[in-house]
Amino acid sequence: MTPRSGERLTPDQVRSIALPPARFGHRGYDEEHVLAFCALVERELVTLLNEKASLWEEVERLRRRIIDTGDASGVRPEDAHVQAVRILSNAQQMADRYVADAQQYSRQITAEARRHRDEVLAEAKTHADRVLDEAHSRASRAAEGAAAEPGPAANGEWRDRTAELAYLRTFSEVYRTHLRAYLETLLNNVEDWEQSEKSSLAAARAELPFPFPSVAPSAGQATPPAPAAGPPPSPYASPPSYTSPPSYSSPSPARLP
Amino acid sequence: MHGDAVPLFFYSDLFLRHPETRELFPVSMAAQRDRLVHALARVVSEAGHLDAITGYLQDLGREHRKFGAIDGHYPAVGASLLATLAHFNGAAWTPELAADWQAAYGRVAQVMTEAAAEDAGNRPAWWEATVVAHELRRFDIATFRVAITEPMLYLPGQSVSVEAPERPRIWRFYSMANAPRDDLTMDFHIRMIDGGALSIVLTRGLAVGSRLRIGAPVGTLTYRPEPGRDVLLVAGSTGLAPLKAIAEQISLLPDPPRVHLFFGARTADGLYDLAGLEKMAAGCPWLTVVPAVSHEPGFPGERGLLHEVLARSGNWREHDVYASGPTPMVEATVNQLTALGVPQGRIHVEDFGWSEP
Repeated sequence: MTPRSGERLTPDQVRSIALPPARFGHRGYDEEHVLAFCALVERELVTLLNEKASLWEEVERLRRRIIDTGDASGVRPEDAHVQAVRILSNAQQMADRYVADAQQYSRQITAEARRHRDEVLAEAKTHADRVLDEAHSRASRAAEGAAAEPGPAANGEWRDRTAELAYLRTFSEVYRTHLRAYLETLLNNVEDWEQSEKSSLAAARAELPFPFPSVAPSAGQATPPAPAAGPPPSPYASPPSYTSPPSYSSPSPARLP
Repeated sequence: MHGDAVPLFFYSDLFLRHPETRELFPVSMAAQRDRLVHALARVVSEAGHLDAITGYLQDLGREHRKFGAIDGHYPAVGASLLATLAHFNGAAWTPELAADWQAAYGRVAQVMTEAAAEDAGNRPAWWEATVVAHELRRFDIATFRVAITEPMLYLPGQSVSVEAPERPRIWRFYSMANAPRDDLTMDFHIRMIDGGALSIVLTRGLAVGSRLRIGAPVGTLTYRPEPGRDVLLVAGSTGLAPLKAIAEQISLLPDPPRVHLFFGARTADGLYDLAGLEKMAAGCPWLTVVPAVSHEPGFPGERGLLHEVLARSGNWREHDVYASGPTPMVEATVNQLTALGVPQGRIHVEDFGWSEP
């Protein structure tokens, strides 16, 4: 329904947009879909405005060429510069889109993983409770059975010990069986996970149209200018006064975590 | 009305004329273009009386030091700004208009460079920091300690912007979780934001020895002792960091007031620093730590959202209140305390700008 990024938005799509209703307990449309659609419309408008601006320039350029009846060959230097600006702008927008898509992808994956983790934890807790209950009830039955059997001596303490032994033996056996099954499932999950990560990484690499040479920080860029030669920084002798504000002002409280 | 096309043209023009300026910016320029448009709109709307925005421009000039901006960049930016305006105004662009803009930009650049130069006399453009300890407390929450080489004067409760070499030119603000120390180490508490560019590096990508850059301290969530007034600290998730720093500052006072620190999270594993706080409280008879959890029915302590727990836990009308954490938590806390009769002037907040999933 929602066009994928990169595809063009058509008037038809806007007319026939069908947004799913929000989750139970919320009014209106599903927020995520509405936001995604708005982002798409916004991107389309930006593209259109840029195209409009460049077409307008093209018209101007051609008009000037007609008026300048003289030299119609050769590109004038300012035209070349504007063209270069346009090429760089397009490349920048492409890079922006890749970064935004990657960020969006990472947001979805993380949110999904978080949800999955909560589910797994809840399920594990329920499972553990169930296993404990089952082990306890089976062991209790075993203990009762052992206590009821006629022993070599009608000694009460002997009977209690036999019952306790039967209880513990059954309890640990049930528990061990469940634990083994659980660990095996877990191990299989981890292997599946490893496998799917390998294949998705390979796929993601294959999808990149060209390498991004500028993403990796070059050593020169990441290294700060060497500190000026001179005496070492003075020891931190005077802590700031807590009762009076510092001499420098405290600007923008805006926080962008 | 050219929308994004104007800043797009401006930056492309700047990078083509002065390629060396490109590396002052992040890979993605989308957010940067928005910022430029906002800053320009603010300057243009006040162009008649520059005095009104002098403070803003000075902040901007100081802030640009950590981005690596130098005096020589200012004329280059001015030239590209004028070229952009000429391009989009077409025939309407006259030499007189150009001269007016040139003069206005010159004044703006002067205020910014002067503020930057004055700042350069007082402190470095940024601090180089080395990670000396890093601990993943939950899969998405980490605490780490860095050591810096030059002293930094800051007040407990303030924050600094942080940049990692893995994400060049992406700066994000984080609060120090300790009062200034003689050994020049600082603690940070980081929560991974889904899709966040830097937070994922700081939670899961750091190790002892990793290098970071740290900008100058900012922020107004700072503590001023008021005689006879007790203190209420309300922390949601990693909003604890600045309040822990304030608690540490109070512990250094000769006669500390009574302090209640409420520390809230959705589940018990979100109370990532409770052990540290309880250890601190054990040595400080004036400090009471109250953990609260909202989404875990089996939790043995206080259950509910922080503002609900506050409402049933005492009378805060004579307290100085400091609250910090996710946006909805900070808003609910302020509303609740105001409704309970705490004067607005005594409530100090830091909004971390995200909501906890």
